[in-house]
Amino acid sequence: MGGSARFMVRRLLRGLLTLWFAATVTFFLLRLLPGDPALAVADPTMTEELYADLLRDYGLDKSLPVQYWHFLAQLAQGNLGVSFRQNQPVLDILLERLPWTLLLAGSSLLVTMVVGIPLGVLAATRAKGLLDRLIQVGGITGQSLFVPSVGVLLLYLFGVRLGWLPIGGAMDDDVTGLAAYASIAKHLILPCLSLVLVQLGSYVLTLRSTLIEALGEDYCRLARAKGLPNRRVVWRHALRNALLPTTTLVGLQLGFLVGGAVLTESIYAYPGVGRAIYDAVAQLDFPVLQGAFIMLAFTVIVANLVTDLAYGVLDPRVRAS
Amino acid sequence: MTVTESPGRLTFEAFRRNPLGPISVAVLLLMGVVAVAAPLIADYPRGYGEDVLAPPSGAHWFGTDDLGRDVFAQVVWGTRVSIVVGLAASLLAIVVGVLVGVAAAYFKHADAALGVVVDLSLSLPVLPLMILVAALAGPSVPTLVVVIAVFSWPEVARVVRAQGLAVVPLPYVSASHALGGSHLWIIRKHVLPGVAPVVAVSVVLTTSRAVLAEAGLSFLGLGDPDSWSWGAILHNAQRSGSLATAWWTTLFPSLAILLLVVSATLVAVVYNDARDPRTR
Repeated sequence: MGGSARFMVRRLLRGLLTLWFAATVTFFLLRLLPGDPALAVADPTMTEELYADLLRDYGLDKSLPVQYWHFLAQLAQGNLGVSFRQNQPVLDILLERLPWTLLLAGSSLLVTMVVGIPLGVLAATRAKGLLDRLIQVGGITGQSLFVPSVGVLLLYLFGVRLGWLPIGGAMDDDVTGLAAYASIAKHLILPCLSLVLVQLGSYVLTLRSTLIEALGEDYCRLARAKGLPNRRVVWRHALRNALLPTTTLVGLQLGFLVGGAVLTESIYAYPGVGRAIYDAVAQLDFPVLQGAFIMLAFTVIVANLVTDLAYGVLDPRVRAS
Repeated sequence: MTVTESPGRLTFEAFRRNPLGPISVAVLLLMGVVAVAAPLIADYPRGYGEDVLAPPSGAHWFGTDDLGRDVFAQVVWGTRVSIVVGLAASLLAIVVGVLVGVAAAYFKHADAALGVVVDLSLSLPVLPLMILVAALAGPSVPTLVVVIAVFSWPEVARVVRAQGLAVVPLPYVSASHALGGSHLWIIRKHVLPGVAPVVAVSVVLTTSRAVLAEAGLSFLGLGDPDSWSWGAILHNAQRSGSLATAWWTTLFPSLAILLLVVSATLVAVVYNDARDPRTR
């Protein structure tokens, strides 16, 4: 147990370090870049005095180290500043939207696994066959898809042309109870499918190659030699080991998934953090952009922590190392 | 096939034998030609046209957008900006990534610090960060190049470091040390050639990722407002609302992006297979 506890503490510290890194990078990027964030709210006709007041309000008149310390202290208390445009704390704006992004990203990851694992197994057990070739070509093409292209295509096909599914938003306004859940699910299908299509390829290809490798290992040959049915060797013996690198891939792909969610939400007017980013870009609302990045980074770090811990549970070798 | 043939020659032969390799290279070269020869292929799309949102026809191969501008011309000129931004950002990222990766693999005491920076950068959601920086710096082609490069080098550094770690402990590198070779000489003569194949693959993959990043930023309205890129065409379609009805305004730039990224990925996959004696 000592080893596991130390492993968890180490991962936790690492998560905190990443969070500090993300905050520091944003702070210095914002302060050292040529653009002046205060100018974005300032009116060119403003008097010197008003402009100085404005700087003081946002704490921009202090020295850089003081600003940095202040920024970190505020962040530790969950204060992400105030939106330039909406006059509302950034944290409130984003917390209201985060559940939608989590729903979208989480459901797409789940569907990707549910569809991807059988596809990977199918390709690996028929390696070099026609079906394997098809899955490989599909995987490479899928990896190369541009998220907005897929989103727009699905929107056009199922939303506009066929009219089967809603073209935007997260739910209808006038529904309650069970109908509300149905409405949420209906609005989720297209954005979720867009994300599944762009990330499915890498999972299937990774699982395929690790599974082929695992099937060639001695323990699988032994399992076959003692007469176990092939199906059992694949699903019970090889897949368990092949899933480990796939778990690592989840961690590596989380950043990509979040980026994809931002683009998808922009297309479907899905009211998550990504759509807030899209709106903030048009309005040059820097506190929202900064807060959104920090919040998404925080989400990815927490999700990574969970994956790491899951990996530790699945594979005792990780805890030992 | 004789034993005396060089590994490079064998790799080339294997690459050529797989039809996907040469086809993908041809597609990439064709796109390069389109980028260079854009002015000869189509007039720069500007102003207003008479046919608004016209579907593809003999006069307008890819149809027209909401202001009557020719979508074919937009895609042709967009090829130029997309490829220039992709290549420039990728080269910048490769230079930094190779320097950091080789330094981390070669100098043991630098490895821990550089490794942490690379790992931390890789675990952050890059697109929201790029959006923040691009919005602050103001949209332009140089901004896009620098922003994409700054957030692309850690991936290059990770790959180069991994390969470098396999090369540095080899006996011939130790022998050079024993013979009194300087660090710079050993890096130039032994380490860099050792990581070169990985770098070659990295150039192709980083460029295609940079093209996707440019398209993403432009799609969100952070592209250069004075020039066409594939993402900018999609942004215009989204902003004007024509993407819901005029499928041609989104289909053709989307196909261009897909074609470039698929070709680049296939070149990398086929090259990797051709280089590996087991899959050759």
